[in-house]
Amino acid sequence: MSKRLFKNGQIASEDSPKLIESDVLVDDGKITQIARGISADGAEEIDCSGCVLMPSMFDGHVHAREPGEDHKETIESCSEAAINGGVTGLILMPNTLPAIDNGNLIQSVLDIAAEKSRIPILQAGCITKNRAGEELAGIAGMAAKGAPVLTDDGNPVDSPVVLRRAIEYAMDFDLPLASHCETKSLSGKGAMNEGAVSYRLGLPGMPAMSEEICLERDIRIAQYTGGHIHIQHVSTAIGMNAIRRAKEDGIRVTCEVAPHHLIFNQEDIGNYDANFKMNPPLRTEEDNEALLQGLIEGVFDVIATDHAPHTHFEKANDFGSAPFGITGLETAVVSLYHHYIRNGRFGWDLLVKRYSAEPRRLAKADPIAINEGFDADFIVFETNATTEFSLEFMRSKSGNTPFIDKTLNGQIRKVVRHDALLLDR
Amino acid sequence: MSTSENILTEELLSGPDIATTVRRLAYEILETCRDDKPAFVGIYTRGVTLAKRVAAVLKEDGHDFEIGTIDISLYRDDLDNLGATMPKLESSGVPFALEGTRVILFDEVIFTGRTIRAALDGLMDYGRPSKIELAVLADRGHRELPIQPDYVGTKIETTRDQYVKVRFEEDDDQEGVFLITKNSETDS
Amino acid sequence: MSKKDDEPIPPSKKDLLDIASLSVEEIEYLLKSAGPFKELFKRSIKKVPALRGKSVLNLFYEPSTRTSSSFEVAAKRMSADVTNLSVSQSSVVKGESVLDTVDTLQAMKTDYIVIRHKAAGIPNLLANHTRASILNAGDGFHAHPTQALLDAFTFREVIPESRGKRIVIVGDILHSRVARSTSTIFNKLGVEVAVLGPGPLIPPGRNDFIKRLSSWEDVFDWKPDAVYLLRVQMERQDEQFFPSLTEYHKVYGLTSERFKTLASEGTYLMHPGPVNRGVEIVDEAMLYEKSLINQQVENGIAVRMAALYWLKPGTEEK
Repeated sequence: MSKRLFKNGQIASEDSPKLIESDVLVDDGKITQIARGISADGAEEIDCSGCVLMPSMFDGHVHAREPGEDHKETIESCSEAAINGGVTGLILMPNTLPAIDNGNLIQSVLDIAAEKSRIPILQAGCITKNRAGEELAGIAGMAAKGAPVLTDDGNPVDSPVVLRRAIEYAMDFDLPLASHCETKSLSGKGAMNEGAVSYRLGLPGMPAMSEEICLERDIRIAQYTGGHIHIQHVSTAIGMNAIRRAKEDGIRVTCEVAPHHLIFNQEDIGNYDANFKMNPPLRTEEDNEALLQGLIEGVFDVIATDHAPHTHFEKANDFGSAPFGITGLETAVVSLYHHYIRNGRFGWDLLVKRYSAEPRRLAKADPIAINEGFDADFIVFETNATTEFSLEFMRSKSGNTPFIDKTLNGQIRKVVRHDALLLDR
Repeated sequence: MSTSENILTEELLSGPDIATTVRRLAYEILETCRDDKPAFVGIYTRGVTLAKRVAAVLKEDGHDFEIGTIDISLYRDDLDNLGATMPKLESSGVPFALEGTRVILFDEVIFTGRTIRAALDGLMDYGRPSKIELAVLADRGHRELPIQPDYVGTKIETTRDQYVKVRFEEDDDQEGVFLITKNSETDS
Repeated sequence: MSKKDDEPIPPSKKDLLDIASLSVEEIEYLLKSAGPFKELFKRSIKKVPALRGKSVLNLFYEPSTRTSSSFEVAAKRMSADVTNLSVSQSSVVKGESVLDTVDTLQAMKTDYIVIRHKAAGIPNLLANHTRASILNAGDGFHAHPTQALLDAFTFREVIPESRGKRIVIVGDILHSRVARSTSTIFNKLGVEVAVLGPGPLIPPGRNDFIKRLSSWEDVFDWKPDAVYLLRVQMERQDEQFFPSLTEYHKVYGLTSERFKTLASEGTYLMHPGPVNRGVEIVDEAMLYEKSLINQQVENGIAVRMAALYWLKPGTEEK
């Protein structure tokens, strides 16, 4: 039981780009008063001048690597990394070893999470058994254990008929299907976006159409069946515009964008830096700009990082052999502030809406906000401080991020959840 | 390090002085040519010019000498500590058989003797001359190897840290032999 | 004769990884200094002591006779100690990363590492992790800088005023590191480059500096000064890019007919070797008086000596 008074902060919400200067009193894990000049006896006072208070983030696309690859990440280290990045809710992807394709496996993850994680964790289930794209996984069992979404993430469901049956069946459980869009026969052994840069570097390419063709197909299946398809990590302008049209046509499609697809493009690979290797790959500068516009215009329902830890050993391999994926939980908020909020490309409301409120709605998680009567679940972000993303800073087991050893503007100082100060610096 | 104000340049030989010295060197060499006719090999860059000038003087008297050139860069013993830039390479050219030939090697200045050592090694890789002699425009002393010139234009008294600069019109748009002294009392 | 100090010599680099990262001045310098090295080949003693006491490791993860022996000869003519290490790909893959291998090599205190590897970017990776100078002898589809240097040197030998001249590269442009490096060097030297090859083997995306020709008729109309044939390798392709080698020869090969036209125009012929007779080139073209293929081989040694001479290993272990 404790009482904390957050003094002189600026409160952000999803409804308005305006920040509201106010004190926030948290008593016994609940926000009991929001006003200026609060004084409360016995409350621990926390000076928040120069800081923005915003609802904690929720990341719907995270690889915690447990079970099976706990040298890269565990549910514990992953949840700590999330807290370090101001994230207090996660959906874990099911492409673990073994793949999470039945209710018992979901339960086993939730059991570990209950013991090891200081934040709530949801576990997504597979669409098909072992993500092989052939037989449907135990969908009813996974739904019963609270899977918020089904996905073979990392793999597309190659066969249209399997995807069709899956989406039709999942509708009975009100579950969306999340789709990693890739036409494998086109992307083949590709390591990066196909184009002038892949040619120059001599690396096998993955053409943008590999993603776009699969994406269009999946949308069409959603349209035909009336099911809900969620397109993961959209990386191209053409793909995004296909989703925009589908939404206008009333098709049940939602989608996400990853910070790295906004911030970086193929040119950043530079001297074969495998911390710029992920799937879908970094595309072009034009795509960066188009995706950012799409985010501002509301095409993207949510921001999700596709947090994908890999060991230094694996990433230190040559670019072609290094695994796909970068971490993102610890860098997302600061990097989005640094690149877009700081210079006015978008407002705080967009960050809150797309990385906190909407992801929670999509996952049917409890809504949070900095309002009187709500559970405390917010972060204190100092705009004038900086964050150096050193290995020491990282709580993830892996440091495979393009931001490694970079210093960016903004710092997450506190993460408050209910009665606990999950992060305090 | 030292700025230009700290550098003292003293002219030792003028253009006409050089002409006189070259002429004397030429006749001294001609003296030795009663029984055989040596071939000339100049060390890049100004040793080549010196060899050509000596040959030109003797040509006036109707004596033709063949001239070869040698670039010693690849034979230097200090390639490891030259700093960031490697010496420029020139094509060595020895357009005659060295076997059994007396060779006179030309360089503008002899100092430590290391350049000559490198040139000797380089020359040997072209063949086995009957004899190698050395002609220089100036000998400034401070040898680090047991190598001595056979024909010397002029001897110059120097300290170890001075620098003797030979400038030829053909190479430098300037003519003269200069003694460069860097003022060692440079203040920070 | 030119005056001294006319052109500044570019400071030595540690590594030679690709042509793209070389400046025009550096390329010109390397080409110029290859000349004096080639002169040495006329002597009975072809060796110079420039790299005496230095060690060169020839590290080949891909089989190669030509390039590895060319580097070996070059290094030996510089008086370096040469160790040849041919590593079969299969013995490396399990658990040992290339960087582990590098650690082993560090212990050998090698000064220069010549590396060929099937993965693009491996030489770059090595360069960042070792004090030794890295000479890229071909990495995947990425780069083959000494091949490009010898090609440019050879071209310049027969066409000294090369600016504004033209070369056509014919073959598998997409999968060829030779095409990448060679087109880049010619581009930097002001030689116009065009390519001819089956559509699927032409790089996608914008490559504005490369002009694409669509047939041999186009090639002859363009009046190139040299035609550069690439080795066509069916074995490198795990998907089908053209129907058959016979069809390739018919449409893109230097057939007897086309060779006659080429010879009548006096166009020079180049090829990185080894040639595929009857595929990209007809037999009789091998005896063409304006074929530069053998000259390319000899010049390869000279430019590799020039590269070894210019590169400077780092001083401290990283």
